[in-house]
Amino acid sequence: MLNQQRLHQLTNLMSERGWERLLLYGHTWRKDFFRCLLNVNFSGPHAAAMVSRAGEVRAIVTDPWDAELIPPSVSVSVASNFAQALGGAAPQAVAGMELMEARFVAELGEPASATFDVEEIRRVKTSDEVESMKKAAALSDSGYQHFSRVAEEGMTEYELAAEVEAFLKRHGAEDNFMLIASGGTEVTGMKPPTERKLQLGDSVTTELTPQVDGYWAQICRTLVLGEPNAKQREAFAIFSEAQKAAEDFLRPGVNISDVARVQNDVFRKYGYGDYTGPKYTRVRGHGLGLHLDENPYVLEEVNYVVKEGMTLIAHPNTYLPLSGYMVFGDSLLVTANGCTPLNQTERKLFQR
Amino acid sequence: MKRGWITWDRTELPREAFETRLASARKHLGERDLPLLVVYTDIWKSNQGRHFSNYMPYWNRALLLIPREESPVLLCALSPRVYPWIKSVTVLNDIRPSPNPAQGLLEICSEKGWEKIGVLGLGQVPYDLHQQMRAGAVEAVDVSLPAEPDEWELSMYRHAAALARTGLEEELAVGVGVLDHEFTGRLERRFRRAGAEDLVVLLTNGQTAPRPAAGETLGEDFSVSLALEYRGHWVKVARSASTRDPVPVRLHVENLSGPYPYEPSDRLETQSILAVRFESQTERVRRFHGDTYWSGSEGLKLL
Repeated sequence: MLNQQRLHQLTNLMSERGWERLLLYGHTWRKDFFRCLLNVNFSGPHAAAMVSRAGEVRAIVTDPWDAELIPPSVSVSVASNFAQALGGAAPQAVAGMELMEARFVAELGEPASATFDVEEIRRVKTSDEVESMKKAAALSDSGYQHFSRVAEEGMTEYELAAEVEAFLKRHGAEDNFMLIASGGTEVTGMKPPTERKLQLGDSVTTELTPQVDGYWAQICRTLVLGEPNAKQREAFAIFSEAQKAAEDFLRPGVNISDVARVQNDVFRKYGYGDYTGPKYTRVRGHGLGLHLDENPYVLEEVNYVVKEGMTLIAHPNTYLPLSGYMVFGDSLLVTANGCTPLNQTERKLFQR
Repeated sequence: MKRGWITWDRTELPREAFETRLASARKHLGERDLPLLVVYTDIWKSNQGRHFSNYMPYWNRALLLIPREESPVLLCALSPRVYPWIKSVTVLNDIRPSPNPAQGLLEICSEKGWEKIGVLGLGQVPYDLHQQMRAGAVEAVDVSLPAEPDEWELSMYRHAAALARTGLEEELAVGVGVLDHEFTGRLERRFRRAGAEDLVVLLTNGQTAPRPAAGETLGEDFSVSLALEYRGHWVKVARSASTRDPVPVRLHVENLSGPYPYEPSDRLETQSILAVRFESQTERVRRFHGDTYWSGSEGLKLL
């Protein structure tokens, strides 16, 4: 649970930057900076890990039950008043500082933000982290199989979400992030499930993002209830080609902006370039790891050189007038010469 | 899953509830001669935004602006593609795309000529937004409002607590011998189908405090702690399958009516929704019980 490799990376960073003490902060929604060193699934609402340049680690948690999760090699204190507990910490730098309540930062003096540096370290996954990502991806595959088995006409979106959520938890997910949409060309994006009942002919889109051992993997697929019509098939072919273009292109040394561009170029080729912008879509993918929406975002305006060991999803999800909002994407691991998909789910327009 | 079925049932939470709450905030603004109250909200810290508008983000963060003289405005980092849906589940009509909500706030203040504004729990706003708010030409001052729940809110909490209590006790009765992951899945299915937006399930066989499922088979003394969100109202219930009489050895109190779903409290605050949990121990087996209470002027009342 104490990531020794990460501790080594952090103490090296501290030496480079001249920091004696580094604080890693997490709250209940963003546990990632804390868990990158102390991988325990705390309840919160707050937790902090203080690292000294000599490699000593001390934890502060706010719930006494969380203290029992901390490994014995790490000293831990429980603070019902978190701001007060931070008072004597005096770190020179804080990872996750932007997420902290302003009053907490005020207790710390004037530390530097270590957020960017620690994010950069986290981007390249250790071998143990890759194993966790693979487990999460395998669960997203079986979760999608379940999704495609239980979705049926007359079921509400929230009932479908309940079935999938139960499946994922039953099979070991710590948590799951899921969006869904159902309908036709009127659907412009995904959102949380509603009481809408699934109908014959619907495109049912989802992104499933189960979390295993702290790590999130994502799968995006579209399912049609009944026989897909010609426009749904035509749309899917474009999404499939765009995702494949990203996967064929992704390797160490390429710029993430080009990973977005090769996807968007497919849409442009078919006359749908207008649907690759922010009016219709958010991103063409994003990093994955201890947070489910990590930098770098896959966008043409983002400048970042891809490294071996990064994990990300390429998903050309967007609205098209052919079919409404459609999604398609897999989690990918960047390897020495290219990338490999972590998902094994068939790449097709699902039908039920 | 954060967060499941988000809806607004006007029969359980009428528009009048939000109008009353907004009027109360505006009265406070009047007393302090402030033109605007800013309420920060995000996926996990949404109690206050929900209280005034029924807005509960499933992703990203937002600032809810409550002007003293005008309708509320949501500065929202989500795409305009989901604004029709947001409008359908909240009292909000004016939603403005704001990838950087603090910048959006400062621009509105500049347009309106507002030089001094109130921010609910200013010190609790995330550091990056706080820095931006303080760096502008506008003076942001802290506002604290009484967190006392109204009757509508109490009614929602009662419903949520009854849902959690009944469901947990029914599942507990058939939980011995079940894998903890399976048990968690059963709770997810039951409560999400009943309208819960989110659950946090912690379990123990009595050797540790309750913790996330880890692949253990549940024994006859197992305990479960369930945090459940029903339409934005979080409650907590803990129960043990053990039939032995609990003798409390340790007590823990959490406040559920602050900005977070739950946070530790070192006292029994009044005019608050509290989760009280206690641990009992027999022959080195730890068992856990707990429930959600309204802490009013007449003491604790089970919700």
